Amino acid sequence: MKNKKRAWIFGYSKQSKAISNSLIADNFIVIIIESNKKHFEDALADGYINSILIDVTEDLELEKLAIEEKDWIICAMEDEHLNVFLTLSLHSFCAKNEIIAISHSIYATKKLKMAGADRVIDIYEVSANRVHNIFEKPIATKLLENFISTNHEISFKEFVIAKKSFLDGKAIEDVDFDKFGVIFIGMVDKELGDEFIFAATNINHKLDSGDIIICIGKDNDLLRFKDYLDGDAV
Amino acid sequence: MVKKVIMKIAFGLYNSKNYIDTKKFFYNILENTNYPYKKFIDIFLITLIIFSVGEAVYSIRHTVPQWLHIFDFYMISMIFAIEYMLRLWIHSDIHKTIIKEYEKAQFLKAPLSVKELFAKILHEKWNYIKSPTAIVDLIAIMPLYRELRILRIFKLLRYTKSLNQFIDVFKTKKFELMTLFLLLMFLIGTSGIAIYVAEGNINKNINSLFDAIYWALISVATVGYGDIAPVTTIGRIISMIIIVTGLVLIAFATSVIVSAFLEKLVEIKDNRIIESINKEDSFVIICGYGQMTKMLLRQNNFNNKYVVIEKDPEITKQITKEGFIAITDDASRYDVLSKFNVHHANVSVLCLGSNDVENIYITLNAKSLSGGIRVIARASDEFMKKKFALAGADHIIIPNQMANIMLLTSINQPIVYNVMHALLTGKNAAYLDEIRILSHDKLIGKTVNSIGFKNKKLLLIGIHKADSNEFIFNPVESTILEHNDILLIMGLKISVEYFVNIFQRGLK
Repeated sequence: MKNKKRAWIFGYSKQSKAISNSLIADNFIVIIIESNKKHFEDALADGYINSILIDVTEDLELEKLAIEEKDWIICAMEDEHLNVFLTLSLHSFCAKNEIIAISHSIYATKKLKMAGADRVIDIYEVSANRVHNIFEKPIATKLLENFISTNHEISFKEFVIAKKSFLDGKAIEDVDFDKFGVIFIGMVDKELGDEFIFAATNINHKLDSGDIIICIGKDNDLLRFKDYLDGDAV
Repeated sequence: MVKKVIMKIAFGLYNSKNYIDTKKFFYNILENTNYPYKKFIDIFLITLIIFSVGEAVYSIRHTVPQWLHIFDFYMISMIFAIEYMLRLWIHSDIHKTIIKEYEKAQFLKAPLSVKELFAKILHEKWNYIKSPTAIVDLIAIMPLYRELRILRIFKLLRYTKSLNQFIDVFKTKKFELMTLFLLLMFLIGTSGIAIYVAEGNINKNINSLFDAIYWALISVATVGYGDIAPVTTIGRIISMIIIVTGLVLIAFATSVIVSAFLEKLVEIKDNRIIESINKEDSFVIICGYGQMTKMLLRQNNFNNKYVVIEKDPEITKQITKEGFIAITDDASRYDVLSKFNVHHANVSVLCLGSNDVENIYITLNAKSLSGGIRVIARASDEFMKKKFALAGADHIIIPNQMANIMLLTSINQPIVYNVMHALLTGKNAAYLDEIRILSHDKLIGKTVNSIGFKNKKLLLIGIHKADSNEFIFNPVESTILEHNDILLIMGLKISVEYFVNIFQRGLK
């Protein structure tokens, strides 16, 4: 129970309902915060017993929640203005927390980013692009659909290179990813910061422990690769 | 005996494929605005009209060669006569009327009355003959007087569709206009008679009742040529009364017509949009304007070959101002979608509204209109997806589900999220593109290894093979590229474009 990750979801709507369900399936502890009594009761009725009803515009009440630094915060209030306001308040005293905000419009996305959300997920952006791709890139769409559907064959995975893993200290060029049937997409070289470096830029990086590499492959190949990585590690 | 022959001919025509095809052909080239070759016939007829009117005007002060006159007199009139007959022919099916009447008689066990039958057929054809466009056509056939030939210019209106719209406007205000017209006639009639009685013997310019009526009309219309003017006090009083009344009546008539036009203007505009999009070989109909449509149109404007159908006129007004192509209507209605050229063009219908019930209805509507329409629908959740699939939607998009997966990825695999987000939103960081291998490409016959994607700063993700119609993920190095294969490539946008130009097309 202690190691379980915890997520605070602000706002209980159809959208956040789906989010909380998948988070619970992913072994998260989910706490729902609502300022609307009816939505709060809905959450309780749906079985979220640790739902809390507070006035989210009151900083004092937010502070009382005792959100820990490693917790995730998801701002998904139905009211756009309230969502931006809440993001701003949470950002001010949970500066170290990862805040993910859900946006329903282009304008809200910008404002949420300005208010300090670490990531903004625009509900329609990805979907709209999918429609665009159906017209422009039908084959790519099939692959992309793989990434965003729950029952996929091909997907992305990120691996953290552990100490003494067989990749530790190796140059990218010397690693034969083909052997595992996966394609190396890019990495985060911790020596250079947190920036994602795309493989196609062709700069040869040295892999060190702590670096993160991203691969794309069939699910079982990715698992095999992970096992191999972990197997060598200490 | 006569009945038997009539029935035989009617059934013969009913079963004749040649007859039906021929009639359909003439219908297409004369009346079907979606038929691609209709415009050539229109252009041909318009040229004839312009030529004929031009000749008539020119001949007033110049002598024209005899052959030109004969051509105008006989040939053009004959062509117009044929056109008129054809239009009359295709207006309705006589044989169908006969068969219907025959079946009715059989059912009722009553004798078929030839007289009634003819009356019915004539009535159907009369409906065409008395329509304004048919009258204009008929006038255009008559070349006997040069003055009448000038009227051919009105025939041009038939090809601009304005005439029909103009007539529609009048039809909507038929009652008001009719009342005004009768009032006007009454005013002209009474004041004409009044002036005739008052000045018929005194005024030397009023020699008949016709002169008096003519004067009344000129005065009511506030034209006042001045060729006939009242000379007595009573005459002047009558003048004053009819001028003032005339002004009021004309102002009233103008306002009625203008308001009718304003009411109709939106519809006319919408029809224009539909007509212009119907000329395209392929286009997209987007049903409902919301955040998703907004986002989509920012990313892809379909080369302006799209139209948004929005129910709320206020929203339509707003987005039209912003430069989007939109009409106000309810896409779930059969007659709305059937206005589009769904049988000849490649049409995609996007149901992007937030209401599942409406989206399903539109999907069914589109699919019932033509199975060839591609439908991309937005669904609110996984349960709805099944319903959309049953309704026949080709692609189903669940924004909530996608956002959900993105959110989970962003929590569990933050770096992957960045890559996926870039890929899924088409941002520059990692660009996924597909390259189809065309028949003259330099890449044909080469192996994946020999191309060296890596050196070209590209990642080959997979190949869609044309022969097996299968997608091969991460293909082995010896895979040979063939015509019509599609390469799925990831790289920076510039790398992909460079590859296409230099290595594929061999522009270097």
